[in-house]
Amino acid sequence: MGSDPVGEETTLPTGSGVAPPLRVEQALRLIPDVELLGPLRALLLASSRQDNQDVWASSAPYLTVGKRFVQAAELERRMPEALDRARQHLSLLYGAVITALEAEQRGETAAAVAALLEAGNHEELIGRPGQARAWYDAAQGLSEGLANRLPELSVLNRLGRLELEVGHYAAAARHYQRALALAEAAQAAGEAIDACQGLGAVAMEEGNLFGAQAWYQRGLQLAEREKDPLRSAKIQHQLALVALGRADLTRAGDYLDRAREGFERLGASLEMARAMNSQGQLDAALGRPHRTSGAYREALAWCRRSGGAPDLEVTIRLNLAELYLAAERVLEAEEEARRGEQLAIERSLTRRLVPIYLFLGRLRGGQGDDGGFVFFEKALELCRQLSVPPGEEGQAYHQYAMFREQLGQREEARALLERAGEILALLGEVPELKRVRAGLRRLSA
Amino acid sequence: MTASRPASAAALRGPAPSVTTPRVLVVGSAEGLAESLARWAPEAEIHLEFAPDLPHGTRLLTHATWHLVLAVVDDHPEEELGWWVETLRALKGFPRLIGLVSHPSMGLAVRAERLGVQHLLKLPLQKDAFLSAVRRAQSSVEEVPVPLPMVAAEVVGQYALIGQSPAMLEVYGLIARVAASTATVLILGESGTGKEVVARAIQLNGPRANRPFVAVNCAAIPDNLLESELFGHEKGAFTGAVMTRVGRFEQASGGTLFLDEIADMSLPLQAKILRAIQEREVERVGGRQVIPVDVRLMAATNHDLRAAVASGRFREDLYYRLAVMTLRLPRLTERGDDLRLLMAHFARQFAERYGKQIDFISDRALELLQGHPWVGNVRELRNVIERAVIVADGGLLSVESLPDELRGAAPAATRGTLPLSLEEAEARHIARVLEHTGGQINAAAAILRIHRNTLARKMREYGI
Repeated sequence: MGSDPVGEETTLPTGSGVAPPLRVEQALRLIPDVELLGPLRALLLASSRQDNQDVWASSAPYLTVGKRFVQAAELERRMPEALDRARQHLSLLYGAVITALEAEQRGETAAAVAALLEAGNHEELIGRPGQARAWYDAAQGLSEGLANRLPELSVLNRLGRLELEVGHYAAAARHYQRALALAEAAQAAGEAIDACQGLGAVAMEEGNLFGAQAWYQRGLQLAEREKDPLRSAKIQHQLALVALGRADLTRAGDYLDRAREGFERLGASLEMARAMNSQGQLDAALGRPHRTSGAYREALAWCRRSGGAPDLEVTIRLNLAELYLAAERVLEAEEEARRGEQLAIERSLTRRLVPIYLFLGRLRGGQGDDGGFVFFEKALELCRQLSVPPGEEGQAYHQYAMFREQLGQREEARALLERAGEILALLGEVPELKRVRAGLRRLSA
Repeated sequence: MTASRPASAAALRGPAPSVTTPRVLVVGSAEGLAESLARWAPEAEIHLEFAPDLPHGTRLLTHATWHLVLAVVDDHPEEELGWWVETLRALKGFPRLIGLVSHPSMGLAVRAERLGVQHLLKLPLQKDAFLSAVRRAQSSVEEVPVPLPMVAAEVVGQYALIGQSPAMLEVYGLIARVAASTATVLILGESGTGKEVVARAIQLNGPRANRPFVAVNCAAIPDNLLESELFGHEKGAFTGAVMTRVGRFEQASGGTLFLDEIADMSLPLQAKILRAIQEREVERVGGRQVIPVDVRLMAATNHDLRAAVASGRFREDLYYRLAVMTLRLPRLTERGDDLRLLMAHFARQFAERYGKQIDFISDRALELLQGHPWVGNVRELRNVIERAVIVADGGLLSVESLPDELRGAAPAATRGTLPLSLEEAEARHIARVLEHTGGQINAAAAILRIHRNTLARKMREYGI
């Protein structure tokens, strides 16, 4: 068969003759896995953008972060940002060591512990939990020799928070338990309240709602006795979430009303944003979509007022996307999820891309579109790269399995569920593991 | 005619406005603003309420229906206007937005317009400007309903081929010729011109009509997954390979494999595709067994493949293997009245999906659709009509139901504004080109045929 050309090939404008940009996935392959280059990798993602020509391409609905474009020149232009950020971070860490040394020379060990904790906190803020733990461990070693137990209490609460964040629930509970015992012995009410909140959060993660409620109630009693309105409102918010988890919607509403009143009175914008996000979840559970949407929109407004909380904003946008999807408003659902994606990329919240891609994958699955697999694969790749907690990775495999099952690919679904089960088993008998086992039984029936 | 201005948002409940009185919410504060507005409200014939800040404003917005929002956007004007447009679009009744800003620039005005902001007014607010903006926001130019034409569609699976333009009649003829053979076909055309629909039509009209049609979008799949997606993999071949998987070549065996956006494929993978075409066999990733495959290959791209070959980004031998028969699809703007037929088809299709009855489009909405550049071709039109059907009230697609970006480009008469000055027109055109190039100054300068320094200067001048 000879050539049968009809018409000329489409020639799209190539612009000004500038070299075409690279895809993020190509660019990342060039950068070796060296820790010092972390800020540059983050900058590369943050400065990437979608090509305008891609907007209407047939691949557009399936694009993930690796398919965005980067220009070397743009990266070079913004490199001082990355260097400045790295310099600031190092300067804070070095400064913390100097402060700790000076304090130790003066015999003020408590101040040295505080300086080390501060450094650990900086590491946590930029998403380096392993490094943060090293600082906290050093602080703990120092604090244990002190007659004053308050510094050690602070260290334990920090360690509890860190272990909770990385999904080591048993370790988190141990730190918080010890913190609570020491706080009660030292009559340190603030630290005792924090420990109760931490224990409540651990119980929540483990799916033990009654346990969570008991810890939060204990913390609330202490906070009210201490006349600490911010901590009281925060715990009431947590209690609302417990009640929501138990489908006790009336009680959830009561707690949430009180929490919101407290936050608004205190002018706590960020807490107010969180509470309005929970209010949206409550309204969704009550089947009031208009109010739900209003609550989420108000939550976004409080976020803006607080000066911006991108992590929370991503969560709220995902909740809005879920709301739209439930109402079969697919276009708006996708748009909202993509807004969350853009924000997560711009603000280097790479881990938040995992739930966003899981959502987009589910959205495609709901349309019977097997092209959605790219989102699940990307989510799993990010889980591996970022060493996310096992709970999150297990959930990603679980959702991928449900997607495959929805498309009638039972064998793939089973293999994915088995992998989800292996990962979740590391956490003990968490509710997600029970759901995975139920899925496996269903597929075997 | 009322104006209520309690001290806080919690107390913001003035006397109930009458059903016909437009409700206007003022969000944020500026010196003397509330007092002036309260004074002017009777003349503007509006019911005014005030919210001190964004959160309280949002709360009020979601608890009642509003016609107009006046938002003070002094901190980060563009970002805040974008936020407002997005928020208002999600609300019942789609309230119009007037932005109030202390230091407006032409660039900001242009960007605001493209966002779909009704007006941008300067603070301190002048009475005449305010009254005129409110009246314009309230007045809607009368739109005349035009019945949707009837459409005969050639159904292709879940898609349809629609069009009677000479350009499309030529495409139909080519489909018939190409379908009769089993040769490899390369389909060219801009994004959204319907390359996959045409590929399916070729398959359905050919000898492999009852065999599988497997489509792979090469640009959508991450590089590291594409090989295993095409050729399959064995269990444990790489991290995440939890089970053995059959690739798309094998799935398509006996039928057709459609490789969309083929230009977006790495050179090593291009070599493997070439080998699969030449040898008619594949090997799964991590596997040792050679698997014979019999597929008719069709490929598509919106890129200039010859240029990609010339620059070494696409293998020449693969290009000639793919381009045995070549078919080019026309842009939507080259298809004349097909736009009306496609619009009517999508309007009916989505009306059915969303449980509505749409029989008319307004003359002004149609005018806007016909004047739009449609860079996304039929896919963009489909998307616009779906959104329009979702928000349409009654059986008419009006200007109001079109997305902001189309309404933003509405002719002056529709927006009730004065004709543009030369500077305004230039600023708007520059903003539009920059939007097209995704903000790339070099590319924009090339399109505008001016030096990049000139463009940069004009951008500074207009505040773009």
